[in-house]
Amino acid sequence: MSITDVTIQPASAPVLSEEQRARLAVLADLLISGGAGLPSASGAEVPTQWIDRVLAVRADLDATVRAVLELEGDPGEVLAGLRADSPEVFGAFAMAVAGAYLINPRVRRGLGYPGPAPMKNPALPDEAEAYLEGGILDVVVARGPIYRPTPQG
Amino acid sequence: MSTDVADVLIIGAGASGGVAAKHLAEAGFSVVVLEQGDWVNQSDLPGLRPEYEVLGGGPWHPNPNVRQRPEDYPINLDDSAAVIGMFNGVGGSTVLYASCWCRAKPSDFRVRTLDGVADDWPVSYEELEPFYRQVEYDLGISGQAGNPAYPPGYAPPLPSLPINMAGRVMAQGMNKLGWHWWPGYNSIPSQDHLHQKKCERYGVCMYGCPQGAKGSTDVALFPDALAHGARLETRARVARISLDENGLANGAVYFQDGVEKFQPAKLVLVGANGIGTPRLLLMSESAGHPDGLANSSGLVGKRFMTHPFGTSVGLYEEDLEDWVGPTGEAIESMQFYETDPSRGFVRGSKWHIIPSAGRPLGMINRFTMGEGGVADEPFWGEAFTERMKASVGHLIEWMIMPDDLPEEHNRITLDHEKTDSDGLPGAKVAYVTGENTRKLVDWNLQRSLEAHEAAGATKAWITNRNNPSWHNMGTARMGDDPETSVVNRWGQAHDVPNLYVIDGSQFVTATGVNPTATICALAKRTAAYLVENRREQKVSTA
Ligand SMILES: Cc1cc2nc3c(=O)[nH]c(=O)nc-3n(C[C@H](O)[C@H](O)[C@H](O)COP(=O)(O)OP(=O)(O)OC[C@H]3O[C@@H](n4cnc5c(N)ncnc54)[C@H](O)[C@@H]3O)c2cc1C
Ligand code: SF4
Repeated sequence: MSITDVTIQPASAPVLSEEQRARLAVLADLLISGGAGLPSASGAEVPTQWIDRVLAVRADLDATVRAVLELEGDPGEVLAGLRADSPEVFGAFAMAVAGAYLINPRVRRGLGYPGPAPMKNPALPDEAEAYLEGGILDVVVARGPIYRPTPQG
Repeated sequence: MSTDVADVLIIGAGASGGVAAKHLAEAGFSVVVLEQGDWVNQSDLPGLRPEYEVLGGGPWHPNPNVRQRPEDYPINLDDSAAVIGMFNGVGGSTVLYASCWCRAKPSDFRVRTLDGVADDWPVSYEELEPFYRQVEYDLGISGQAGNPAYPPGYAPPLPSLPINMAGRVMAQGMNKLGWHWWPGYNSIPSQDHLHQKKCERYGVCMYGCPQGAKGSTDVALFPDALAHGARLETRARVARISLDENGLANGAVYFQDGVEKFQPAKLVLVGANGIGTPRLLLMSESAGHPDGLANSSGLVGKRFMTHPFGTSVGLYEEDLEDWVGPTGEAIESMQFYETDPSRGFVRGSKWHIIPSAGRPLGMINRFTMGEGGVADEPFWGEAFTERMKASVGHLIEWMIMPDDLPEEHNRITLDHEKTDSDGLPGAKVAYVTGENTRKLVDWNLQRSLEAHEAAGATKAWITNRNNPSWHNMGTARMGDDPETSVVNRWGQAHDVPNLYVIDGSQFVTATGVNPTATICALAKRTAAYLVENRREQKVSTA
């Protein structure tokens, strides 16, 4: 398979309302603000696109994300409150946001991944030997056995 | 349903079930395998989908309580310090396993003699060695011969996979310290081998191999068993093993799509995993076996061992390209495997490196649970992208696999409140990490930080001292004495001579390595014994 073989289908149906997406954008950007050459969560289309793929396959995260989006109040305080009082909910919400972020092919590229999904990397014929060049294994062998044999008798 | 009496009924189509089914079918036995799960379609595996890691945290999670598929049985962990997992389907847990292929070492079988703790096994490394060799061929093990951590002669059938950048960087660090390391052994073929295709290094092995490379038994072994006439019933959950009037096992009652059925057999082999096997034996209680089948010793379910392993990570400036698979072992170390009493504990640990970049979401816990002040540093907000950039492709993780000693209070019992989709009781795990295991993990983790430093890490820290290993062992231990063991040296139940346990339940101690090589070697040895002794073997004729 090559990069061009990976097709990223949209998730089956939009799962969040526009209001929910707007709220998610604010909360998600607090978690992933961007920098180091990588976009913020909303810059990486987390609230508008990639979150759908996560929620489509994880009913547990879907429930958590919706519940968090219901919470009213200052977004920073909402997240800080969850983190302090409901770390599991915070963890699941953050996992959903980060999970969506890390699916974005642009983000993956920015992190150095060779493709938008795991790719073939067939080993070259002499690759295994190449990594052992310089006799790095010889010194291990030269030190001799390091096991305790089965006691006799 | 066929009511033909099988020569051999195997319960569970996992690692051990696959080994036994292939061997016995090829030897001409009529074999029926009952498996509660289904075949896994390669195209259904999550590994090549962009959201593979999210799927791996849900419907493909190793913990059945998270997966919650109809074929999973609940596992009550209220009293367990360890999180437990397995996969239920054809191939069993090998569908998800990382394929680290680790022979136990001679000292593992003589723990009492050498270290004065626990018990010796009734078998030795030398007795098991030919069976290790045979299953290594059948499961396409790649690795390097000549490892000084093992007796001479250990030569895997296929050449080693590349140790990749992370392996090389760490190997050089280990050399600086004069510490042992060796290219990893994996049940992942470096070239096309029998039913297995050459590994293409997608690096998603723990989400199931989309290439058909990994030596999971659905790919590597069951095709041969079926070609030799074995019958594999899927979605067939065994509720109890039944006995004839002579006290011999004569088959099993199972549920298939909600219908109760009976499979008669002359011999019964149980390979239902270190949790599923004691569960089934306990569910098979009867008037003659009021505490569960084959449990006159009272040890069925007791002495549960797992490998609550430690992890440490280091950040490296080098571009490690660490998404290149396989996610089996790149390198391992046996430097601290053998006992040194001056360390304040007995037994030891195998260390190994598995590439980490294929699981970028895992970085969250590595930072937010990190010791040495790492957890207190900012991770979310502006820090997130910086942390990801610094770690994805730049992080090496040591996994510290500890030996775990048997203790009777660590046990599996039945949970009658949480039942499976057929109404059968779930399993309840009671597990407390032993003091020796804790000390062993702590001490080795400290050494692993020294290894990171020697390898040039810009920063290194401990991420977890109690990772779930998904290794389930010891719950129907083998031994010579029927009062202190459930099965004998061949896996044969002391109480029921035509009932055999073939999985990791037999383990006397946990060993300090991943268990599947030893599970498969033991299953192979039992199968070979059954073929050789077919005339003397007592069988049910009822
Ligand atoms: C994510 C993960 C990673 C792992 N990595 C490694 C590794 O790198 N190296 C290593 O050595 N080990 C590893 N392991 C462990 C390894 O997979 C197991 O040790 C091995 O598969 C156990 O073999 P088994 O035959 O005992 O049971 P399993 O392979 O678990 O098979 C048992 C089978 O029995 C079936 N069964 C249970 N009860 C019933 C019943 N009542 N009726 C019908 N069927 C039943 C189950 O559905 C299952 O298919 C890993 C495990 C997991 C989950
Ligand atoms: S790295 Fe190899 S064994 Fe692992 S999933 Fe890819 S092809 Fe399969």
